[in-house]
Amino acid sequence: MICGESSAAYRRYYRRFILTTLAYVPFVLLAVWEFKHGHPAGVGAYVLAILPALPILGALVIAGMYLSEETDEFQRAILTQAMLYGIGLTLAVTTVWGFLENFELVPRMDLFLVFPLFSFLVGIASPVVKARYR
Amino acid sequence: MKNPLEVHGVGPYREGQGKGMKERRVSSPANYRFEDRFLFVVVPLFMLDAALGFFGFHYHHLQPVGALAIVCAVLQSLPIVACIVVFGLYLGEEKDEFQKGILVQSMLWSTGATLAVTTFWGSMEKYSQAPRMDVALVQFVFCIVYIVALAVNGWRYR
Repeated sequence: MICGESSAAYRRYYRRFILTTLAYVPFVLLAVWEFKHGHPAGVGAYVLAILPALPILGALVIAGMYLSEETDEFQRAILTQAMLYGIGLTLAVTTVWGFLENFELVPRMDLFLVFPLFSFLVGIASPVVKARYR
Repeated sequence: MKNPLEVHGVGPYREGQGKGMKERRVSSPANYRFEDRFLFVVVPLFMLDAALGFFGFHYHHLQPVGALAIVCAVLQSLPIVACIVVFGLYLGEEKDEFQKGILVQSMLWSTGATLAVTTFWGSMEKYSQAPRMDVALVQFVFCIVYIVALAVNGWRYR
């Protein structure tokens, strides 16, 4: 989401992000394996279902922490603008996709894909916003 | 007598409160343009959408296919997309940094919360057979959280 900066806040963000990414892989593998072989039910199934979402929620919290810890106003403004473009485009895409789905024109979009879509769009918006300030 | 909101110095946007519509519109041209765009673009699109929904799908039970279905889907999503564009234009034009700061903060909070809800629900759908949430509802989740965040931020900066 944030490219090439090395402020103290960014380094902290990077470390935390790597930790959540590392946690994501075993959580997903555990949930998939358990649902395939263990057939969990009741509260256990819900807990297992939440497991893969936790590192992603963590990544969101970490991005929020970075925004509040970053002292470089310019970097913060760029990330904020990129995020706003990202959420605007994400909402536009999901709305249009949702209505196309209702008419059975496109396959069903998994809700789990909203966050990767947002991250992808922020990734595209960041260099565009940066280029405007060159 | 001075407006109590002005005495507490809560920002130029609020200076307009308690004044006539003309003065308020002049004090924030961006807000003025936002209101006009909303009234003359977004509201008619919502009315068109409601008319299509009521007369087309509810009354005449239309079941469009092919190109007509694409047109209907685009028409139905148009008011919401227009709403996003109008709001984005307002954010770009607003000169009052305080007002803009509150809006941006609220949007970031609602972005985080919306992504958290969709990720959580998506995970539940995928692994534990939770009921399916329509992807078009993401916008409504965002709007609800945004209204709450706006109220909380407004209260914090009283």
